[in-house]
Amino acid sequence: MGQSIPLGTQLGVGMGERAAARTDATSIPWTIWCMVAGIASGTVGGIWDISWHMSIGRDTFWTPAHIAIQMTGVLVGIACGYLILSATFGGESAARETSVKIWGFRGPLGAFIAVWGCVAMLTSAPFDNWWHNAYGLDVKIVSPPHTLLSLGSFAIKVGALALMAGLMNRASEALRGRLMWLFACVGATAVAQAGLILTQPTWPVYMHSASCYLAVAIGIPAVLVGTAWGAGNKWACTRAAAIYTAILLAAEWILPLFPAEPKLGPVYQHVTHFIPLRFPLLFIVPAVVLDLLWNKVGDWKRWRLAGVTGAAFLASFVAVQWPFANFLMSPAARNRIFGMAYFGYFDPAGFLYDPYAFVAAEKTRGAFWLTMAFAVVAAMISSRLGLAWGDWMRRMRR
Amino acid sequence: MKRLGVIFPLLLCTALAARAHVGSPDVYFEGDAGPYHLFVTVRVPQVIPGVAEIRVRSASGDVQSMQFVSMRLSGPGSNLPPTPDLAQQSKEDPQFFTGSLWLMESGALRVRIRVDGAKGKGEVSVPVPSFAQRTLTMDRPLKGILGLLMLFLAVGMVFIAGAAVREGNLAPGETPAPGKIRRAKIVMAITAMVVVGILYLGRAWWGAEAGNYERGVNFFKPPAAETTLENGNRLVIRAHGQDKEWPNEVKMEEIIPDHNHLMHLFLIRVPGMDRLLHLHPERIAGGAFAEDLPSISAGKYRVFADVVDKAGFPWTLVGEANLPQLDGMPLAGDDASWSGAPLTKPAGEASTFLLPDGGHMTWERASGPLKANTAMNFTFSVQTKEGKPAQDLEPYMGMAGHAEFVRSDMGAFAHVHPAGSVAMAALELAQAGVLEAPPAMRDGMVMGAQSPKVSFPYGFPQPGDYRIFVQIKCAGRVETGVFDAHVE
Repeated sequence: MGQSIPLGTQLGVGMGERAAARTDATSIPWTIWCMVAGIASGTVGGIWDISWHMSIGRDTFWTPAHIAIQMTGVLVGIACGYLILSATFGGESAARETSVKIWGFRGPLGAFIAVWGCVAMLTSAPFDNWWHNAYGLDVKIVSPPHTLLSLGSFAIKVGALALMAGLMNRASEALRGRLMWLFACVGATAVAQAGLILTQPTWPVYMHSASCYLAVAIGIPAVLVGTAWGAGNKWACTRAAAIYTAILLAAEWILPLFPAEPKLGPVYQHVTHFIPLRFPLLFIVPAVVLDLLWNKVGDWKRWRLAGVTGAAFLASFVAVQWPFANFLMSPAARNRIFGMAYFGYFDPAGFLYDPYAFVAAEKTRGAFWLTMAFAVVAAMISSRLGLAWGDWMRRMRR
Repeated sequence: MKRLGVIFPLLLCTALAARAHVGSPDVYFEGDAGPYHLFVTVRVPQVIPGVAEIRVRSASGDVQSMQFVSMRLSGPGSNLPPTPDLAQQSKEDPQFFTGSLWLMESGALRVRIRVDGAKGKGEVSVPVPSFAQRTLTMDRPLKGILGLLMLFLAVGMVFIAGAAVREGNLAPGETPAPGKIRRAKIVMAITAMVVVGILYLGRAWWGAEAGNYERGVNFFKPPAAETTLENGNRLVIRAHGQDKEWPNEVKMEEIIPDHNHLMHLFLIRVPGMDRLLHLHPERIAGGAFAEDLPSISAGKYRVFADVVDKAGFPWTLVGEANLPQLDGMPLAGDDASWSGAPLTKPAGEASTFLLPDGGHMTWERASGPLKANTAMNFTFSVQTKEGKPAQDLEPYMGMAGHAEFVRSDMGAFAHVHPAGSVAMAALELAQAGVLEAPPAMRDGMVMGAQSPKVSFPYGFPQPGDYRIFVQIKCAGRVETGVFDAHVE
């Protein structure tokens, strides 16, 4: 636990700085707890809200799920507002020395990024309200105001990770070890958010289509690799993927315990409880592979490392998700554990499509392999972005 | 007029300012839910999906509870409703119930009302044409606030990127070297370009979404009634939707009969509304409709043609026709016409109308000004020339009467029956699966002896001057009473 993997020349310099800038604090600041609580609230709220739309359909601004999402902005706003105002106007020199300056304000860089995310979420509220008045209530989940909300939420996670990275890079080993877990938790919520955005193209019926793996290759490595590489821990990738898996499994197993009934029609499925989204994607396997791989080749040049990382991620993911999809489509998965018997009230199963038959997104074998080739390239580029983000967090001092 | 085979193209209707059905989107209904007589108003939302307001008044005080739910009127899913909402009963007026329902899709929907009370349970479904009426523009204060916030986000992202490069990895207390400051400026410039790109793409996305929505709004705008006069006096009507997909979705070959006729055509001479023809053209090849016109005075006529598509959605085709003086065939069947004095502005307040046989039609109008968006029961009574209640009224196309409410600028037109503003064909479709509905209710038709009074539940959609044409059948003749109304 807490052991750093070889990171090459650049990190060697960084580690020297880290030792020089080490803080004596041993407890995690309340501001970090507050941010993590806000992010956890937003994650729960986001998953709950999707389930709400699949089970009940009708909502208002004041549903518990929406309030949980908005609590992210409140809690993160309080924490980061305090950090920025205390560093700007407080007399504590340590806070000023570990801050950056923007528009005359001082504060940790991560706090500024998170505040940006809060303002984006705040902006999305009146924008979304007007959007509803102009174009109708949530007819589309992916709309400009919802995208701004999602962007704000993601920026808050990026800010929290940057804030924790700066603290970890200056912290004692004991504090660093504790922060590592929170860092992995926030990273896992970022992976979960990326995964939720990819819900449609990665639905089980598409798991034997190359487009499913292209979508994953574009969206996931950048986030998973970034958060894991930024943590600089031997099992960081596995840890983040395990927490992601635990979050989605908890949602799948807990949500159906609560009653719900559709308030919009037509009601094609008899729904008596909250409908969870689905079984998590098996990112845990490529995560283990990447951790093992990085232990051997972590000091390679970045593009070379990104190429190997992307290829390994995609190959191991396809190797497990493809056969697992066969299982998900089988009657054995139609239970509470794997959740393949859950349908939203609006799903006309057996009427418009067969929910247990694979859909071939690519019509020819050539199109399939071409898309797969794109997926390999996308995974490599996405991994490179993740490594760059991770390196940036490793160098973060403020 | 005598040159056979010559086609006179008339002034074709283009997209008029009027909205579908026309400028009168709210639904007014009067009917029975089992043993309970109800007056229902459905205020439809301006945008779809949106929230409709439901208001129901029970004629009797024995209703204990009501439930509302919205459903498709016909087709797949029309028999799969969600959990209904319990209506709120007014504490001050226990016979008044209210609720709100989401209308999630455009098209032919219905609101199902279930009633529970001292006389047991009852149920009725009210057809609701669901369609987006407008695209909202953003008002200036909101535009300003959102603009400032977006500016803050755009500029903030640039400065955060600069700070990250300049100071993000400096050791505590260390000041940035000139090289870092220079790099930060380069990164800020690149970030600014990226931000501009993101904003451009976002704007393009917004534009595409708005364009899609606008297409939906246009789809449900009143289709144009293209009219031509063939062979001297044969009026031919063709429908042209305001969206290119309209003819693929709404086929004139598949429209359904609405109280005995496929099309109810109203020709109203403008500007004074001093001539009215209520005709019933027959469908001809290619989905067009045609009828030999009766004798008619020359002038410019506004065309309103009511049809109901196979899903139960009512459409009013709108157009204009410059017609010459015609000496045509005598009126036949259910066709009717009227001519008289033009509408004055402001509209007169007369509540009695002299019928051709010397009898009278009287609007039993409450005192006080008429208000827009207020549900009312427009009651008219018919008296003989001796002043006694007429005993010889008979059903006209199966109903006690028909009323057309027309605003002076032609921006609002509604063809209303004693069951309300709903299309009778849609009402019949809506009752599918409703048990215990008496046959008269199912059809909205009159059975047996007819009262000398006829009433129409309706509400004027906007302020203005209106003319109300009330058509009844009396001793085998169709009589038209005309009343003017100024609405505040």
